[in-house]
Amino acid sequence: MADKKQVTIHNAPKATWNKETLSEIDYKASNGKYRIRGCGSPRPMPKFDDLMILPSQLTRMPIDTYREDCETRTVLGARFAKKPLIIETPVMIAGMSYGALSKEAKIALAKATKLVGTVISNGEGGILPEELENSYRQSVQILASRMGFTRRNMEVADMLEVLYGIGAKPGLSGHLMGEKISEEIAEVRKIPIGIDLHSHPRAGDAFGADDMVVKMQQLREMTDWETPIFCKIAAGRVRDDIKIAIKLGFDGIILDGCSAGTGAAPVMATDHLGIPTMPALVAAVRTLEEMGVKEEMSLIVSGGITNGADLAKALAIGADAVAIGTAAMVAMGCRVCMNCQTGKCAFGIGTQDPELRQNLDVDEAAERVANYIKAITAEAVLLAKSAGKTKLKNLEREDLRALTLEACAMTGIPLVGSDLVIGKGFGFSADNGL
Amino acid sequence: MEYLDLAKVENEKVNVLIKDKLKESNELVLKNVNSMHNICAGLSGDCRVTIEDSTGLYTGSFLEGPTLRIKGNVGWYAGDDMMSGELIVEKNTGCNIGAYINGGTIVIYGNTGSRVGYGMKGGNIIVCGSAGRWAGVMAMGGDLIILGALGKECGESMYSGKIFTRDPEAESKMGGNVFYDTITAAETEKLDHLFSQYEIAADGKDFHVIRPVLSGRHEYALFKPDLKPELAKKYFVKRG
Repeated sequence: MADKKQVTIHNAPKATWNKETLSEIDYKASNGKYRIRGCGSPRPMPKFDDLMILPSQLTRMPIDTYREDCETRTVLGARFAKKPLIIETPVMIAGMSYGALSKEAKIALAKATKLVGTVISNGEGGILPEELENSYRQSVQILASRMGFTRRNMEVADMLEVLYGIGAKPGLSGHLMGEKISEEIAEVRKIPIGIDLHSHPRAGDAFGADDMVVKMQQLREMTDWETPIFCKIAAGRVRDDIKIAIKLGFDGIILDGCSAGTGAAPVMATDHLGIPTMPALVAAVRTLEEMGVKEEMSLIVSGGITNGADLAKALAIGADAVAIGTAAMVAMGCRVCMNCQTGKCAFGIGTQDPELRQNLDVDEAAERVANYIKAITAEAVLLAKSAGKTKLKNLEREDLRALTLEACAMTGIPLVGSDLVIGKGFGFSADNGL
Repeated sequence: MEYLDLAKVENEKVNVLIKDKLKESNELVLKNVNSMHNICAGLSGDCRVTIEDSTGLYTGSFLEGPTLRIKGNVGWYAGDDMMSGELIVEKNTGCNIGAYINGGTIVIYGNTGSRVGYGMKGGNIIVCGSAGRWAGVMAMGGDLIILGALGKECGESMYSGKIFTRDPEAESKMGGNVFYDTITAAETEKLDHLFSQYEIAADGKDFHVIRPVLSGRHEYALFKPDLKPELAKKYFVKRG
């Protein structure tokens, strides 16, 4: 009898034991610790692409795409603040720290806001004077670490953000790896050069919502009730968190979905914490409506916004504006290599290396970011006009339909073609009034 | 010197009244504060305010310049984000006093709760009595001087700054990423100067310093197994 040959199967598809899994296990086996990654999660998440916008036809008139106006000016934080923030496009630059980003990148982003008339958030680690000098409007974050934060920061803020969490690593503090703690960053943040920074996870001046009620009174007195005060929360228990934010008296909420980016975070956190931006936004809007404050309280959403369709659909669901982070970096040249934590960004964006920083042309980067914001605002305008709107903010959920059963169930927006609503409706009845 | 009786004043209107009164005199005494919150929050300028009883939360937050003396007890978060000036408490305080202070001096003649000097970035905090857990946790600057007993996890993950202690058990109460060190002559001199200024009976030479580890990287353990191999069943099985 002839010997049977042993058959080896090459390149068989492996659902669990794929290259990424093996690499993860090897890393942990070698180092006894978990992996840190930049940018955010590569996992597929539900997206605004799962919704479609209904165009106007016989039921309503379309607005001329090229010759008629569609207002984009956006007013934020008018609930209690005497001087609400007015920006020309509902697209703001999200909080990204000087430290995670180079000085050149921060200046470029600030300059871009001046070209399009929007606001930039400073992120952790204080305000870079050059950012403040070049920004159109400045939002200042009040973080649990207060690195670089003083009374002076509040005095120059057009908007304040009390930060409770970020979407990419909710429940965790800021991570800035030692490779990025240069002498200058160390001086601004008052930390040693080259140390891995795991900043403060909880605010040391408000342990819980009860204390925050009193803290809010303090912040209002400090700002003479002029500056809009927002809270930034990561999407988790959205309904409960939003209810508390309403009770605390914030002027608005920045809701960061788990599709958001960051300079560095444990892989486990970015991949497994939080809920995606689109369903989080729906939950937030439902809660604001339930509490009767939807019209007075501003809602900014962030996490994975890439184009004008995302913007238009977010506004239609009920957001007042969106914040962009990774997309603005990509506009500057970032290719999303997801190695921001190493500080070796070849594009001069996510690095503090003096040589690498020279790779970013500040003015060119500013123009590219401004162009990108102009383009996505124009895309949203195009969609809004097609839906018959003369104001971007007039987009409404009735203009939307869900492409998939999952999107329909998550949002309560009817499934295309069927007018079927699964689960809890979102202002639609099961038969959609038919 | 001016007086202000706050017995019938709403909490939200107190600081406006205080600022108005300070336009008439730079010395002011507040009566019947009755533990109201946010007293003197954001107060600035060259003035002296004395509170005759106790205060609630956030006393003297963002203080910039004034000397604020409280004769009673003080609630949580007093002096948070303070810029400069003095905050003097004659009795005891709640927790998280001096969180994030940038400058100035806080003196507590009694005891204080947990997390005094949380994330402090500058200035001085002197506690004449004992302090609760996590004193100076994640501090980024400044000097925290504790004359009495320390709580556990003192100085955990400080990035910068110093904690001065004369607690004989200090080494066993320290948090991670800090070390216990002897005091330098310059530091002793600074302490003696502060003790003299605030009439505190203490000698700088009796103190040691808890300092942050500045080289290398902070170490954390998210998994802390308590290994007791001798308790395994196999060791009790008679063989043969």
